[in-house]
Amino acid sequence: MSVKIHTPPVRLAKLLRTPGGLPVAEAVQRAGAGLQSLRKDCLVELQTVLDEAEACAARAGDAFDADLLAELYGVVSKPIGTPSICGLASVDTALISLSDLLDYLKGQQRWDANAVAVHLRAFRLLLHTEGAADAAGTQAILAGLRKISQRYARTEG
Amino acid sequence: MGLNPESRARFNLERASVLLLEESPMGMNILVQILTGFGAKTLHRCETVDQAKDAIGKVEVDLIICDALGPSGAGYDFVEWLRRSRIEPNCFAPVLLTAGHTPGNAVARARDCGAHFVMAKPLTPIAVLERILWIAREGRRFVECDTYMGPDRRFKNDGVPAGMVGRRRDDLHGEIGEAETPNMDQEVIDSLMKTRRVEL
Repeated sequence: MSVKIHTPPVRLAKLLRTPGGLPVAEAVQRAGAGLQSLRKDCLVELQTVLDEAEACAARAGDAFDADLLAELYGVVSKPIGTPSICGLASVDTALISLSDLLDYLKGQQRWDANAVAVHLRAFRLLLHTEGAADAAGTQAILAGLRKISQRYARTEG
Repeated sequence: MGLNPESRARFNLERASVLLLEESPMGMNILVQILTGFGAKTLHRCETVDQAKDAIGKVEVDLIICDALGPSGAGYDFVEWLRRSRIEPNCFAPVLLTAGHTPGNAVARARDCGAHFVMAKPLTPIAVLERILWIAREGRRFVECDTYMGPDRRFKNDGVPAGMVGRRRDDLHGEIGEAETPNMDQEVIDSLMKTRRVEL
């Protein structure tokens, strides 16, 4: 097998060094302010995602259904990253835990309606009560979700 | 790493041409807010792989921020296509790949697609900036072979993994063995580093 190793020029490196531009602190502050402006839209989108996910899970029977699981995975994994923009990092953690759970279930061709339902209930709770919830309570919920999803984690090989 | 968010160091993205590939409108909005906050003015927004391929063929890009694009992992395929496309200089452009959730069966695809860095969401402005500055560093080697084309994934100089034989000409072989003499004294090391006037 032939291998070629070379060092292509990186135009971006030169552009970043050109005079002008912004100090890091100002750039980060401007970007943060821009993200704040999306907060309201993000919350609306998350509510839509929650409704879609609950409707999808409600269609599930007792048996493993690959298509339905894939659909639900698509619904809940897509918005990961959006909740943190609204200051709802805990919702991101819950979505990641649910995505992990669905990925493990897919690998093992299993379905666990209760484990999915608990995640969706936590999603609803964290989405609507984050501001009022105490940090310790939120952490306890997230730890519980991780425990549930990790029950299905399995080291391959 | 560890970029200080309070740093007064300057960088300039005003003239950089940035391609964004993200299918979710909200995900795209987030990227746009971050990049415009950083001062980038030329953003090529692509919602599909086809749009991104089209843009790669038409404009020169300096940075690509591309999402993995969900369970299909079409974002990985796009990066692989880009590297093999031979459309210069875009095929060598720094690529920051973002992923919301990486399913177990996609980890190897993420590693081998040819991206400079894979970044897990949620994205924060400081983390994105840190990665952009990191992947823009000059001197990163590119590897081209039958099974992989992209930046050298071995960017830490930790040597060959224990118990393995290196595959590269410049990999060192042989046992290092135990030290034969005592460690140098710190004062001796300091004296070696000290600047001295030289008389010729």
